[in-house]
Amino acid sequence: MSRVYTIVKGHVKTWFRSKSTIFWTLAFPILLIVLFGAIFGTGNTRFDLYVQNQDLTANAPTPSSQGYVAALNHTGAFNIQTVPAEMSNPVSYVRDDAQLHNRGQRLLVIPVGFQNNLTNRKPADIQLYMDQSDQASPSLAGVITAVTSSYAASLSNSTVSLSVQQVPIVTHNTRYIDFFIPGVIGMTLLTSGVFGAVNTNGRYRELKIIKKLATTPLSKIEWILGMVGYQMFLAAISITVILLFGRFVFGVTATIDIYTIGLVVAAALLFPGIGMVLANFVKDADGAEAAANAITFPMMFLAGTFWPTETMPTVLKVIANYLPLTYINNGLRDAMIYLEPAQALTNTIIALGLAGFFIILGSVLMSWKEE
Amino acid sequence: MNNLSKKYGDTVAVNGISFGLSKGEVFAFLGPNGAGKTTTVEILECLRAPTGGQAKVLDYDVSKRSDQSEIRKRIGVLPQDFNAIDRLTVRENIDYFGAMYDHQLDSDQLIELVDLKDKRDEQFKTLSGGLKQRVGLAVALVNDPALVFLDEPTTGLDPRARRDVWYVIERLKKQGKTVFLTTHYMDEAEYLADTVSIIDHGQIIASGTPNELIDAHGGKKTLVIREAGEDGLKFLPPGISRPQLKNEDDIYIPLNNGELTTILIAIGQTPLANKEIEVRRPTLDDVFLNLTGRRVSEEGE
Repeated sequence: MSRVYTIVKGHVKTWFRSKSTIFWTLAFPILLIVLFGAIFGTGNTRFDLYVQNQDLTANAPTPSSQGYVAALNHTGAFNIQTVPAEMSNPVSYVRDDAQLHNRGQRLLVIPVGFQNNLTNRKPADIQLYMDQSDQASPSLAGVITAVTSSYAASLSNSTVSLSVQQVPIVTHNTRYIDFFIPGVIGMTLLTSGVFGAVNTNGRYRELKIIKKLATTPLSKIEWILGMVGYQMFLAAISITVILLFGRFVFGVTATIDIYTIGLVVAAALLFPGIGMVLANFVKDADGAEAAANAITFPMMFLAGTFWPTETMPTVLKVIANYLPLTYINNGLRDAMIYLEPAQALTNTIIALGLAGFFIILGSVLMSWKEE
Repeated sequence: MNNLSKKYGDTVAVNGISFGLSKGEVFAFLGPNGAGKTTTVEILECLRAPTGGQAKVLDYDVSKRSDQSEIRKRIGVLPQDFNAIDRLTVRENIDYFGAMYDHQLDSDQLIELVDLKDKRDEQFKTLSGGLKQRVGLAVALVNDPALVFLDEPTTGLDPRARRDVWYVIERLKKQGKTVFLTTHYMDEAEYLADTVSIIDHGQIIASGTPNELIDAHGGKKTLVIREAGEDGLKFLPPGISRPQLKNEDDIYIPLNNGELTTILIAIGQTPLANKEIEVRRPTLDDVFLNLTGRRVSEEGE
């Protein structure tokens, strides 16, 4: 155990004395938070309204439904965003898109058969998805109800029954910055894990430090434990700094629960595991670093660090499902921000499974002795 | 070590070599690059498994797993091209590697031994090549090993730094440590070693003390007359063995018994008497040349 401690201490000292690694693990994430926070703003979210018009004929909205949306628009009370009709889960689309653009999460769905029902004098219901705790809710609902009644009255056939059905949703009032903070944590764990492992396994091999250690009583397992322990330390430090910064500068309140811890442990095994696999396939340390860049950068962008994966094209969404970082990012958001333990658990289990796979693969591949 | 060999596929790196070390001696394993020196050393350090033969280090069998951990506790190793950890200081590096063992020597004592007192709190990356190598030596000694392996400890160092490393090795010898040194520098082996084994193409081609090897395989002494020029050749007495002109102007004459006096008397009254005249004893370089027909090259293994 004292040998593992020595390894951890050595890595920590090295980290602490290197200005560039301190920058990448602490200053860079903070810089990103400031930049993205400034770009996407943190202002208020009132009177945004997402509308999904499902009532189509020949791929275009029916005249009645179009007239209804126009009536809403004429009030000038709403900032209307259109949700594509083919989107099968509009509520989750709205959650992600609203977060990305810092809008209020309210959705109005005009159902299939809207025009048909009106012409056939059948009752037509419009669904309004809204968080009851949202302060803008009562006035918003009032305006929509009023517009709906006057639209119904304006129709030549005044006997139609048109009503607004309110569907409560829970939104947690999350903003882009709330979404972004767990992403930055995931990104930091990814880069420090992969590059840390490439450095301590690839570079240390080139410098014959590993060869030297292999001639001492130190075992390969102790060496790997030391590296993982160092990653845990690094994760703890950068998460603390990121969360404190998010809290005091942007007022982000994040919950740290058992899933958060599970996900961080998973990340501290998973990403060094990937780094070790790279360092063993690409023997030359510079080459391994290039490979690490080639893997971490696309993963960072595609795994929902900066924007929700749901807002990406289908092909990229499919790719995102195969990226380990996706599960860390999603899990951290479920646990820290959305407070959805069931989803956090699923993501934690997947992340731990991947972590086990990669750290074992990396350890088996790593040649401690020579051929 | 008995009939040890190591093959990689069809390539034979070490081909059935045998030798032994006595306690307290400096043993030099001498050979050109790619001769199999590092492979052999790494088998003894339990870093590689031999494909044939046996080797014992301090009476422990390198092929037995349980013996390997005993060997690791008792040997000190300076790998070829070793670097310590860049951002740790000299003392921190010594303590870092020392912590891998159950017992470690006092780091101050080691720092004194390798003469790095002024640099004790400097980070490793700021040191020159020679000083770095001395840190490597201190690290190799941190567990007070009974046997020290130094793999090409002076390769790439300037002459001054090489001398400093030699000095440390001499001190180790005085302390009674057994040192296993691999080198492709003939002068290094000649200067430091009690016993030398010369390896070429994975096989040992000669063993003995430097003097024994030179006497047996070094060939004749050579008389050198510097800057004598081609004209100088005509002043030499007839009948002596093939004088040669080297380095443009220097005359080299391999000496047979009794020839030295004959030549010196003959040239006493000629312009050659004013030239720089030197009698060269053969070196291990000549031993290697005579045994293999080649000179040892300078590249790294």
